[in-house]
Amino acid sequence: MKTLLRAAMTLAISLCLAATASAQDASLQDILQEHAEEIADPSRGTVGQTLTALVETDHPALPGFLTRWQNREAYQRDADGLFVYVEDEDADPLVLLDIESGEPIGTAGSREVTQLRPNGGVRRVIGGALVQFQLGAENPATRLEALSAIANDPDESYLPMVRARLEAEEDPAVRARLEVVLPGLIIAFAEDDAARVEAIRSLDGNVSLDARATLNRLLSTSREVSDVLPDDANVATVLTPGSDQLSIEDAYAMLVAADLAPPLISRTEQRDVLAANVVDGRVGGVPVATLNTETARDAAYDALVAEGIATPLPTQDEVDAAIESHVFYDAYTEPSSAVTDSARATLDSIETRVGVYRFFDLSLDGISLASIYFLAAIGLAITFGVMGVINMAHGEFIMIGAYTGYVVQTLIADYTLSIAVALPLAFAVTFALGVLMERAVIRWLYHRPLETLLATFGISIALQQIIRQIFGTQARPFTPPDWLAGSVTINDVISISSIRIAIFLLGVIFFVMLWLILNRTRLGLEVRAVTQNPAMAASMGINPDRINMLTFGLGSGIAGVAGVAIGLFAQVVPDMGSNYIVQSFMTVVVGGVGNIFGTLIGAGMIGSLQKAIEWLNPTNTLAAQTYMILFVILFIQFRPRGIIALRGRAAGD
Amino acid sequence: MSSLLEVQGISVTFDGFRAINNLSFEIGLPELRAIIGPNGAGKTTFMDIVTGKTRPDEGTVKWGDLSHSLLSKSEAQIAQIGIGRKFQRPTVFEDQSVWDNLRVALKKPRGPMAAIFDRVTDNDRARIAEIADEIGLTERLEDPASILSHGQKQWLEIGMLLAQDPKLLLVDEPAAGMTTEEREHTTALLKRLAQSHAVVVVEHDMEFVRRLDCRVTVLHEGSVLAEGSLDHVMADERVIEVYLGR
Amino acid sequence: MSIFTRNRSVPIFIGILALFALLVTVMSEAYGTGAISVSFTKVLGMTLCLCLAALAMDLVWGYCGILSLGHFAFFGLGGYGIGMWLMTARTEAVVRANLANQVIPPTEAEVSEATALQIFSVVGGEDWPWMWAASGSLFLSLLLIVVVPGLLALVFGWLAFRSRVTGVYLSILTQAMTLALSLYLFQNDTGLRGNNGLSGLQNIPGAESIGQDRISIWFFWASALALGLTYIGAAWLVSGKFGNIVRGIRDDEQRVRFLGYKVEAYKLFVFTLTGVLCGVAGALYYPQAGIINPDEIAPIASIYLAVWVAIGGRGRLYGAVIGAAVVSLLSTYFTGGRAPDVNLGFMTIEWVDWWPVLLGLGFVLVTLFAPKGLGGLVDYIVRKDRT
Repeated sequence: MKTLLRAAMTLAISLCLAATASAQDASLQDILQEHAEEIADPSRGTVGQTLTALVETDHPALPGFLTRWQNREAYQRDADGLFVYVEDEDADPLVLLDIESGEPIGTAGSREVTQLRPNGGVRRVIGGALVQFQLGAENPATRLEALSAIANDPDESYLPMVRARLEAEEDPAVRARLEVVLPGLIIAFAEDDAARVEAIRSLDGNVSLDARATLNRLLSTSREVSDVLPDDANVATVLTPGSDQLSIEDAYAMLVAADLAPPLISRTEQRDVLAANVVDGRVGGVPVATLNTETARDAAYDALVAEGIATPLPTQDEVDAAIESHVFYDAYTEPSSAVTDSARATLDSIETRVGVYRFFDLSLDGISLASIYFLAAIGLAITFGVMGVINMAHGEFIMIGAYTGYVVQTLIADYTLSIAVALPLAFAVTFALGVLMERAVIRWLYHRPLETLLATFGISIALQQIIRQIFGTQARPFTPPDWLAGSVTINDVISISSIRIAIFLLGVIFFVMLWLILNRTRLGLEVRAVTQNPAMAASMGINPDRINMLTFGLGSGIAGVAGVAIGLFAQVVPDMGSNYIVQSFMTVVVGGVGNIFGTLIGAGMIGSLQKAIEWLNPTNTLAAQTYMILFVILFIQFRPRGIIALRGRAAGD
Repeated sequence: MSSLLEVQGISVTFDGFRAINNLSFEIGLPELRAIIGPNGAGKTTFMDIVTGKTRPDEGTVKWGDLSHSLLSKSEAQIAQIGIGRKFQRPTVFEDQSVWDNLRVALKKPRGPMAAIFDRVTDNDRARIAEIADEIGLTERLEDPASILSHGQKQWLEIGMLLAQDPKLLLVDEPAAGMTTEEREHTTALLKRLAQSHAVVVVEHDMEFVRRLDCRVTVLHEGSVLAEGSLDHVMADERVIEVYLGR
Repeated sequence: MSIFTRNRSVPIFIGILALFALLVTVMSEAYGTGAISVSFTKVLGMTLCLCLAALAMDLVWGYCGILSLGHFAFFGLGGYGIGMWLMTARTEAVVRANLANQVIPPTEAEVSEATALQIFSVVGGEDWPWMWAASGSLFLSLLLIVVVPGLLALVFGWLAFRSRVTGVYLSILTQAMTLALSLYLFQNDTGLRGNNGLSGLQNIPGAESIGQDRISIWFFWASALALGLTYIGAAWLVSGKFGNIVRGIRDDEQRVRFLGYKVEAYKLFVFTLTGVLCGVAGALYYPQAGIINPDEIAPIASIYLAVWVAIGGRGRLYGAVIGAAVVSLLSTYFTGGRAPDVNLGFMTIEWVDWWPVLLGLGFVLVTLFAPKGLGGLVDYIVRKDRT
């Protein structure tokens, strides 16, 4: 009978899909009124029958009602028991809407209607009924929702619906989900092991979290102990006490828990026993004051045992013998070994594939981090390479770039437009600041590079504090537009946020632009000439002063642009620059100065290395940074001038 | 005359530019030798290789009777072995007195501990006085080196070279920035030194080289073009071509 | 001693330091009028420790030309070294007092366990990390103060100098070193209580009955003594041939090398020696500060150390001391909230906020217009007197 009912239901749903506009004899209101009492005050125990009856009518407006009912958006007019919706639940009086047409049918005060308020249990049952409708809904998103509901709360009754749906489904996303949900249901509810194994096999190569969770659930084990290995258990592993998997202590604790051995006593428990048996300042004849060593306490305890006050403890030999005479093993909760074996094989194969994808995902992360470092460091590399000047205020230029973005966003409401304005504006602001700084300070210090380092540090703390004075210490919001806020997800393993893709593209653009400027323009030629031999360049009519000024401005301007990019995903705070400055230095040092390819390689190395270390120890990003720095320090041993070493002024020869 | 320094077939390339090309050179003890050659002939790079600053890509550099290789030694070890070098630009410790400059150069143990516990002995004082007299700076021992004239700095550097008591002196353009009188004094000093040392002088000034009156090696494009007395090499067709162009 | 006659600044400096110490003692709460509070005595003692660190910085930068941006790491290591002992001893005393109420007297293992729990529960630990192995012994801890910074300086310096990393590269590398160390210490599971650091260091074990008034002045004396001895030692070191060589390395490394000196060995010696000096300074500083955490050795602290030396005047031992004393005392004054605000009519200058700006710009000005620093000013006055 049950099967017949289900078949009828499935048929009804497909019919409903095929012709939603099929004529109905009774209006929904009439149908509902038949069950008015049950709908107005449903109980978890009986609502199922009511729902079955309702679903059987297959009325096209029913899913809408069920949804509203579930969400507590349906009302009943007190006067005549009519079921209605309301236009705005906060309005007074309420405008009542017809449950089929959605047309206003009158008004009522909030006391004249009663909101239908099914409890949590009932709402779940309604949800189950709704799933049937949702699974056939036109909107793929609704169908996916229904599948999630099924996956979260699987029930045997869904199996035929899902199977039928898979045959009809055309939307690829829904189909992919169905391909996981259906095997999940088969594995959970089919009685035939061959069918389950087949379902498991069908998951092979599926890297989605659901598929892996389904298989992992099948492979869950429990730790058991017994005299001999039982024949009927589906044993995963037999454990050796004293190995990594099972320590002697844990093994004995299992025996104690299973009442197979007498308990041991901890030092604390021993002390408590002794403390409870103090007689005239003595325990078992031993003075309390001397009980400050373990030997003395053992002696006192033994005395208590002899007196029959304390329980005797098993000796080490007894412990060993007890462990020796039992077998410890992990058993699958799933009894069929055919199922677990095939689940294990499938999961292993999936995990291999996941490993490959994860490596790919990690590489993407590494590239994205590298592009951030590249943007942050390239300005520094240019100024260092061309002028031999380390600009400690570089991080503050990044920070000022980010604040420029914030200020622009307060003036221009449209996020996309504000970023389009912020990028060139940040460049202009930091370019101007850079030129100002070069003219006012740095040009007087060209022959004293170490002092430039300290003077620019002075500027850095001053700038940081000034920004703090203006904008305060709390983080300022600098929000990416919606089209940058999401992420591109390829599967459950590979996903990258759009903003990082944008930063990568920005990095590429800047790399190409700088390459063109340095290699295809007069300015670039002069810059390279000054880099390699300033005296010679000067004698050929190149004005090194002007080149230095422009170079410094360029380097600072790029820092500003990097700031806008970084501000989109990091916190915009006055000391944000210091988070990037040391990494930028190291990028420059590793890459070698005065060459944008060097910086590119340096950023790539540092970015991917940091991600690789994070992968080895994912819980601890601080450790990743620590080890990364140690690597850089060691790397410098072998390439003291970086990957791409340069001869000339910056090389210090 | 036994060979003190023997350089065999060395070559070195910087970024594709061949600075030294299969160069061989030999000098005995005592001997005075001048090396001449146009700009970029590889004179300074040659000295860099001998003193350990630059490692050649190929070739050997042997030292002394036992023919020790110098290639695996550091600059400091080579200096300690007995090769002193005067740079083209005078490099003295500007903010230290002439006396201190000479004291640092004096041949004594070179380790940090030896330097910390170093005491100036009568012997040291006598030696410094002697060198100061030789280089004409006796009056200026207490002055900081920074206030010396260019020529005097050259002298001080030669004095520091003497204080090291090397066997081989590599002297790069010793006469630059000197008055005629100072030049004559320098020539005399170098000739006197060459009686007990091996001295290699790199010089542009032909007049100065003529006055040294010694064997001359002509370098060109990183290898030896000609070798012999000044008159002999100046008569060589190729040398004329290199110096005068076509 | 010949050093007093060879370097005129030594007798003057020692005289001023002794006078200052006497003055502070006479005005202290413990032994004098009480005009100087206990907390200000501590500030003065800590300032002397910073002067000691600056002296070391001057040796390595002003004399040897190595702009290390990592010497505060050694300072911090010294602090952690003594801090582990102080905290262990203090916590153990507290734990013993608590356990004394128990019916059964505690075993040593129980005391140790409870102490560890007390110290490390804040970072979710309960066992002694390996690096605390020496914390039970004062002698071993004192050894650590010297050995750990010394060893780090030795290894780092050996690696850096042998590959001839110089100039700005070396500065960045030292900065990376101190950043790595502070990041390491920031982690909760590396054994030094993460960002909680070590605290309660002002409580000296075995001296519970002695008030902070006397302890503060004792530490002040110890700091003054350390500074004085180091000054004499440093003056002696730089006035001899060693000083000539080291200054030669600063001005023309290559020349020294071609004179037959192993430049790397000299640099390593100076780097390690100054690292140890900073460790000692830190070990004296943090018992007076009472608390140490990884923030203390963030890269910026080391940069400040260089800033003090630059403001005071490099290559002059008294310059370093003047710079450290003046700048750190001014910072304490202006950021301590005691400086009166300046009302300009249209805005009010609050020193707590504007001091960093003033300091930063002041530092730019000193670099540009007074490269010899405040010490150069002293030189100028002295020379004027002579003529």
